[in-house]
Amino acid sequence: MKPSRGIRCVFHICLLAFTAITAFSQEDPGSVSATIGPRGEKLIIARCTVCHSADLITQQRLSRTRWEATVDKMKHWGAEISDQDADLLIRYLSARYHPDAPANLPPLGHEIGKGEPLKQEPQAPLSAIGVAARGAGVFEHNCQACHGGGAMGGMGPRLARNPILKLDDLFRETVLYGRGPMPAWSSMLSEQDIADVREWLLTR
Amino acid sequence: MKGSGELATVSRRRWLKTILGLGAGLVMHPTKFLTWAADMTPASDESKPLTVRVSRPLDAETPAQAFTSFLTPNHQFFVRSHFGPPPAEAIEESQWKLHVGGAVERPNEFTITSLQQFKAVTMTAVLQCSGNGRAYHRPRVPGVQWERGAVGNAQWTGVRLRDVLQAAGIRAEARHVMFQGADRPVVPAVPLFFRSIPLEKALHPDTLLAYEMNGQPLPLLHGAPLRVITPGWMAESCIKWLTHIEARKEEASGYYMQTAYRVPVKSAHTGTGVPDDATAPVEVMPVKSLISSPEDGQSLRAGAAKIQGVAWAGETKIAKVEISFDDGDTWQPAQLVGDDRLYAWRQWQFLWQATVEGTFAIVCRATDERGNVQPAATSWNPSGFLWNGWDRVTVRVHPS
Repeated sequence: MKPSRGIRCVFHICLLAFTAITAFSQEDPGSVSATIGPRGEKLIIARCTVCHSADLITQQRLSRTRWEATVDKMKHWGAEISDQDADLLIRYLSARYHPDAPANLPPLGHEIGKGEPLKQEPQAPLSAIGVAARGAGVFEHNCQACHGGGAMGGMGPRLARNPILKLDDLFRETVLYGRGPMPAWSSMLSEQDIADVREWLLTR
Repeated sequence: MKGSGELATVSRRRWLKTILGLGAGLVMHPTKFLTWAADMTPASDESKPLTVRVSRPLDAETPAQAFTSFLTPNHQFFVRSHFGPPPAEAIEESQWKLHVGGAVERPNEFTITSLQQFKAVTMTAVLQCSGNGRAYHRPRVPGVQWERGAVGNAQWTGVRLRDVLQAAGIRAEARHVMFQGADRPVVPAVPLFFRSIPLEKALHPDTLLAYEMNGQPLPLLHGAPLRVITPGWMAESCIKWLTHIEARKEEASGYYMQTAYRVPVKSAHTGTGVPDDATAPVEVMPVKSLISSPEDGQSLRAGAAKIQGVAWAGETKIAKVEISFDDGDTWQPAQLVGDDRLYAWRQWQFLWQATVEGTFAIVCRATDERGNVQPAATSWNPSGFLWNGWDRVTVRVHPS
């Protein structure tokens, strides 16, 4: 039985609409990289490399569906990513590390510095006065995974009563720019956050 | 000490970096670093470093050229774990204990010395990561993109798990034996790594609790002070840094038994998920062979050339290895050489009269004593496990 003209017409309209939606939702890998590349990379360094090095990510070549499943799994496993962060990460990862992406991609980090920092807060003066109560929360979400509950140490050194707390500049610089295996946190934490964490650590 | 870099030549299949370096996590534990550094002392100037796939926690594979030797040296043996080694104090000899409990009459605790009251057994066995060769599955699957070297053959010394379980008195309801090590995830929300094996495998006289590897105390990266060895089975059953053994009625719960390390019972439809009830835990290693020499991309002078490699097959022996120069249209038998032992790999060689100049793809495949033949490509599965497709190297023959 041949479909009626009306049904065929509806079908074609649907097909057109579907094509338009698909085209809209598929982002051009190049432009995605330029817009969200730096932010995506910073999220990886701040949120994923707490547990594993970035090379585990950059060797994957996965479809968007698989990236969605992976980011979702990592959220369930304690990655500190908001829904908004997760969205951005999935867009970044599926644009850059898709099944047809070349084997050799520039290493992670080449995008960083090109974009604006993730946090656009007015910079507090260098002598930001820390608030211990707020620092506890900042520590829990950003530092605890490596430095342990109560800052008693874990994969990273114990920070409670650590001599570095007496050296304001060194503490601040270590957090901002990283040191050894510790990643740089300048893109995630504000001067105020850092001061708050230090203030809280001093109470430990 | 952040690791001096050494880039490998980029060849067709080996695009990932080779780093002679340290996993960042190791930098933070001086005691671990020392143990590790001692293990990593090269046996000879020829030995190549491991190819690092993930630098933290360290996952690194052995360059295939190392497989020209029957035993894979400890410093070249592939490294894989979910969370990296536990804190040094957790496995220090004075602190470490093995707890045996669950469905047993007499729960027990052992130190390494008290465990050695049981008869020592030594055996040679292949250890292989289930994901070895994952990089060759299409469509691609997530996970460590292992190529050829997440496998090795070592001599393991330890006591029989059976002896330890029988001393504790296995209760009638026990059907599985669960293992857990001292390694812990960075973030508490990540599931702990514990798995179980069926009682039958646990009571098999060849299943060991090993404290030595190639005649040396078990190195930290390989599970010091004690690990499980389930010969013929994939390595995720060979729990490292072992602290707990539990006899139980049911298979272990948890992510690494019920979700991960499972394969479809029937071959999966490419690219789709399969329902959990249609999967079974990964157990026996399928028949597989590798070419260790010549290397992929190597130039050979025209004349006689030796092609060599290894082949292994889970709980049975290798019957034959064959070589093809025409991508599997015709096959020629290779010669099996060296030690012939169940669970160990078998070395093989093929004398090739490379008289014609040009570029050649050399392919090998093995057949085990049960008649299983290594396939051209392994059927796809969602986690990219059990790859055992034909191995292949491309060489160029130039005038002598």
